[in-house]
Amino acid sequence: MPRFVIPLTVALVGLILFGHGALIHAKAIVAQVLLDRAFSQTIASGQPVKPWSWADTVPVARIDVKRLGVSTIALAGSSGQALAFGAGHVEGSAEPGEPGIALYSAHRDTHFRFLRDVRIGDEIDVIRGDGKRFRYRADASRVVRFDASDIDPVTDRAELVLSTCWPFDALTQGPERYVLHATMIPE
Amino acid sequence: MSETIDTDIRSSAHPIRSWIVTMLLFLLLQAGAVLLVGFAALFLSITPGWSAEGPLAPLTKPADARSGALLFKSDAGYAEAPRLGIDVDIVVSGPTARARVTQLFKNTSSQWVEAVYVYPLPPDSAVDTLKMIVGDRVVIGDIKPRQEAKVIYDQARREGKTAALTEQERPNIFTNSLANIGPGETVLVQIEYQQPVAQVAGEFSLRVPLVVAPRYNPKPIVQSVDLRPYSDGWGAASNDPVPDRDRISPEVLDPAKTDPVNPTRITVRLQAGFALGEVKSHHHQVTIESPDAKTRVVTLAEGVVPADRDFELSWKPASEKMPSVGLFHEQVGDADYLLAFVTPPAVAAATQRPQPRDVIFVIDNSGSMGGTSIRQAKASLLYALGRLQPNDRFNVIRFDDTMTVLFPASVPADAEHVGDATSFVSGLDARGGTEMVPAMRAALTDDGSDADRVRQVVFLTDGAIGNEQQLFETITAMRGRSRIFMVGIGSAPNTYLMSRAAELGRGAFTHIGSVEQVEERMRDLFAKLENPVVTGLSANFSEASADLTPAVLPDVYRNEPLVLAAKIDRLAGSLQLKGRIGDQPWSITLPLSGAAEGKGLSKLWARRKIGDAEVARTMRQMTPEEADGAILKLALEHQLVTRLTSLVAVDKTPRRPDGEPLKLAELPINLPAGWDFEKLFGERGRMPAMQKDRRAEGDGDVQLAALKRPVVPTTPATITLPKTATDAELSMLIGLAILLLELIWLAALRRRAAN
Repeated sequence: MPRFVIPLTVALVGLILFGHGALIHAKAIVAQVLLDRAFSQTIASGQPVKPWSWADTVPVARIDVKRLGVSTIALAGSSGQALAFGAGHVEGSAEPGEPGIALYSAHRDTHFRFLRDVRIGDEIDVIRGDGKRFRYRADASRVVRFDASDIDPVTDRAELVLSTCWPFDALTQGPERYVLHATMIPE
Repeated sequence: MSETIDTDIRSSAHPIRSWIVTMLLFLLLQAGAVLLVGFAALFLSITPGWSAEGPLAPLTKPADARSGALLFKSDAGYAEAPRLGIDVDIVVSGPTARARVTQLFKNTSSQWVEAVYVYPLPPDSAVDTLKMIVGDRVVIGDIKPRQEAKVIYDQARREGKTAALTEQERPNIFTNSLANIGPGETVLVQIEYQQPVAQVAGEFSLRVPLVVAPRYNPKPIVQSVDLRPYSDGWGAASNDPVPDRDRISPEVLDPAKTDPVNPTRITVRLQAGFALGEVKSHHHQVTIESPDAKTRVVTLAEGVVPADRDFELSWKPASEKMPSVGLFHEQVGDADYLLAFVTPPAVAAATQRPQPRDVIFVIDNSGSMGGTSIRQAKASLLYALGRLQPNDRFNVIRFDDTMTVLFPASVPADAEHVGDATSFVSGLDARGGTEMVPAMRAALTDDGSDADRVRQVVFLTDGAIGNEQQLFETITAMRGRSRIFMVGIGSAPNTYLMSRAAELGRGAFTHIGSVEQVEERMRDLFAKLENPVVTGLSANFSEASADLTPAVLPDVYRNEPLVLAAKIDRLAGSLQLKGRIGDQPWSITLPLSGAAEGKGLSKLWARRKIGDAEVARTMRQMTPEEADGAILKLALEHQLVTRLTSLVAVDKTPRRPDGEPLKLAELPINLPAGWDFEKLFGERGRMPAMQKDRRAEGDGDVQLAALKRPVVPTTPATITLPKTATDAELSMLIGLAILLLELIWLAALRRRAAN
């Protein structure tokens, strides 16, 4: 039935496109499960544990927002490959709990989708690989260009910055980033 | 569940509605299937995604290859790397230049740091002095055999003493290591070298390389076996063409992501010894002062520049006539060292008819040539093709990690073939690795026909390879009657490779640093290719006994001087040079008593003797042991850094407290100007962008000013935020829309079929 050839080809293209999008979400969801397991082992053993044997990055922190009931695992580094699986701890930024800005980035449509719901005053917990928990309070948010963040990671307070693409509902990639700033609450 | 629906549908009285329901169900199931496929594919697709780390070409960055760099990277990124300022101060006196390079290492971190900096020097430079300045103490370095120096350095490093080590990686690549720089501290390392002034085509020039271009280091494929005598036939196979690959591949910063680093200040005090005419800097804006007719002081107009391209200065005498002879001497101990420049007359040129030639053009279109380099190379080659005579024959070879030989054999340079070659060259694009050896082998493969023709290989490349020695061995083994002319392309070509390959190939070399230079330099090169040379040269001292370098005098091309260095026992009598220009005999006699005082000539003589020994080693005229022995003796006697000797300076007082860790930091370098980062390293690897806002310019002032003052706080840095959006939603929406349209279409088709 040659007249079905063209419709079937078009259907295939549609399927592939849909599958591609679905795959991104599938990766994000499944990887978090594996990462969560690896991170728990990391805390228990005190050694970095790879989420799967061929991974070249390790989970380094968990970010929780209690009010929203969300939690996401962050990986070392913020390469495109790492960001497909979880949030990334941006190279060159400080460790959480230490003086300086700890900067995490993740995709707006997967792991950091919840950022749109975080309000100023919300508490954000960051658990480090050594099991220590640090509590931050969100105190500012703004929208900046990716290359003009004005974020200097060298400060004398312990600060946290979560960044993702902006606007949240856009379908294409743009130069603007949503930046949420939080400061550590002393114990 | 689906069964019940099915029954429902079958029992339905409305066939169209039931059909729509079926289709929707199909869609739902399909979506489920896609998700399932997606999950399955996740685990299949992860593997390549994660393992494809780094570039395809084996162009190593130490960050990929070294544990030290990993440590350096993992903690707090480049903010921890010591910062560097460079000051180059050169005094040209007549035929030689004395350069003092001061590298200022500033440790901006709160930890003790060991800094390693890879930097280039001219290939004929004789490095003889190392000084380290810590606080108010100046420590002078000693020359030691390389292994010994390394041991001394390592020991000092362990004991917490500040120490500096200068090593030669290639004749034009050196490494400075500096151990135990305290938190917030600034340490100065100063090296000095002697260099001869180049003299070509009526012009004197000086080249100061400022950056080591990233090298392509071929993968170990061919095993080379080194059988030593008395080993009863057992030898060790060396697998790697570039065994020291990580020593010559420092981290390269992506110019799109970071501002240039390593601010450099250059001052040249030019005392030419004659009234100066035009003085020109080819790649930098300069300010030129003239205290008197014979002296110029050249400084950079911008004050400091990032170290990302070679500095090239050339000067001409005020009078039209170029001095054709120069004779200088220096007395050291009871020996005299002589340096002679003789430019043979060009008179015979006109009477000679150019011989028909076979010219093989080889063009490098590897990734390192991306950007402006490939444009310069193509322009040069197109110019060369235009210069071919009808009775010449030619061929064109292009190479990256693959190779194309345009014609099966050399073809006559008629309009048709030249046209073919022109369009072939115009279509070239820079990508891939740099496998230079097979290309050189192809170019040197000579079918032996037409033995009366002159066979010339014109090789256009930036020389950005780490396996120079393999290339030299290929040339030595295969050169036959061919002569090799190297054309160095780009802002930071590998001068050592160019000059040594041309020397081994008995040809000449030239540098093209910008598109504007193409025509002038290629014209000069062609003048050499087309015009007769002075051949059969010999030198005789009437009274003194001399140790001469080069031992076998090379042929000399038009407009090029013969440069001789000799160690003589007494400054008396004369030096006579004899040779042939075409068919005519030519000779010249220089009275030694007329030699003017020169500086550092003994070092230059020793450096050239060392170069001769390296060549003899390559050409198997000396065994490796003999050559190494000769090099070591010369180097220790004249205090020179060579492949076998290093300078080491150790501050006597231990400073780093016990138990404090020492971090290794390899200083990143700039990408040479005009290079294309993506062509070289593939898709932009993610490199920390911490250097942002730390511009070479402003920082240079801070750093160089800090020579005397305490460390000034640095300007704030900013972070570039990563890309954090996927096209998941978009592609899912488009996919769904297409599927929906598809359904409507199918429905229409079905209805028509039903009708």
